[in-house]
Amino acid sequence: MNNKEQNNDTISRKEAIKKIGNYSKYVSLTALGTYLILNPQEAQAQSPEAPGTGF
Amino acid sequence: MKNNTSFLYKPLEDKTITWFENSNKYLVLENTTADILKRLSKGVSVEEIAKALSKKLNVPLDKTIDFILDLEKKIYASKSTKKSNFLNDYRDIEKPTYFEFTKFYKINNLVFKVAFSSEYELYLVHPKFAHLEIENSENITHEFLVFLNNKYVFFYVDKNFIGAWSNKDIHYFQGKFSMELIQKIHQKEEHEWMGVFHASAVSNTEKTILFLGDSGNGKSTSLALLQANGFTCLADDFVPIANKNIHVYSFPAAISIKKNSVETLLPLYPELQNSAEYHFKRFNKIVRYLKPNNTDFYSHLPCNDLVFIKYEKESDLQVRQISKIEAFQELVPDSWLSPLKENAQKFLDWFHQINCYQITYSNNTKMIDTVSKIFKNNIDKN
Repeated sequence: MNNKEQNNDTISRKEAIKKIGNYSKYVSLTALGTYLILNPQEAQAQSPEAPGTGF
Repeated sequence: MKNNTSFLYKPLEDKTITWFENSNKYLVLENTTADILKRLSKGVSVEEIAKALSKKLNVPLDKTIDFILDLEKKIYASKSTKKSNFLNDYRDIEKPTYFEFTKFYKINNLVFKVAFSSEYELYLVHPKFAHLEIENSENITHEFLVFLNNKYVFFYVDKNFIGAWSNKDIHYFQGKFSMELIQKIHQKEEHEWMGVFHASAVSNTEKTILFLGDSGNGKSTSLALLQANGFTCLADDFVPIANKNIHVYSFPAAISIKKNSVETLLPLYPELQNSAEYHFKRFNKIVRYLKPNNTDFYSHLPCNDLVFIKYEKESDLQVRQISKIEAFQELVPDSWLSPLKENAQKFLDWFHQINCYQITYSNNTKMIDTVSKIFKNNIDKN
């Protein structure tokens, strides 16, 4: 009985590739939706070098 | 048909950079994604785009429809995040009647009279320009006022209010001060600049190379080494590029040298020994200022090379051409880029044709030799 259940849980290599194959389609969609947003500075700036209490 | 004037597209390596006019943002997209946006903005229906995508990727149509709707939502949402500006009416601000310090700076044939209400404002500006100071002059061309009021630093140029900044944003005041200076020196208004880069610009007589890198990587030290070896310092820390000719323009400020670089540079610049040391406690920085060797503050040169430089103790010299997408990601967030469409297009076109390198070094002679090769277009690009 136990053995039978175990057998039901495992799949063959061929089946596994087939299953991944189905999902890998969506991987390409996910990649298309992945992007980077870059914001330039809103105003001209200099390196932060403001005096502290040293003055 | 949707209005498509608010985007710019530029292929770069295996991606497409997309610029949004409404927010001045740059997105690094997959080519197909940029294509989807392009078609959406042209008014092509979601269904039509989704059908093509479904065929191309062999994915069910309902998934591609969801994908495009979601993409549209995300991208359009990301452009409407512009911060609302805090409005204030500064017309009633009373200018102080007494200014503790008044300095005169001569740049080319211009004389700037700058009045500071106290020592605090003086030290925000003066150390970088002290080498340009002259005695009292009668031929003043521009008058700048810098004063503190209600914990804000106020800035006026020739009686016009320019802005007010809190202590937290003080590097924007310093940036604006520099911007006003270059506008006067080079006779160009803000809209005539493509951008201002946080870099060091080293030049020979024909061209300039921009050195970039995080604070502490040795940009300014490398610049000081190079200007002692036949090159010119065109600009340090604040590198303006004009939109007309895409040239880097001279910026006359001094080079800030951190305490731990002084020893390396002393043999080349004995004057550093006795120059004033400034403690920027807030940033845990101790710096001295070194005069740039440029004498012609009208000068401007083309730039086709970016170098990300890094000093690394005991490292062998390494130089390689790097991915431009990677360089773009480093450059943009650290730069002011003009929000005008025409200028954004010029920036994208310029970036598309430049070379990007990375140099890691510990031996100064080898670094100078490598930079000389880049100037001569004589570098092994691998």
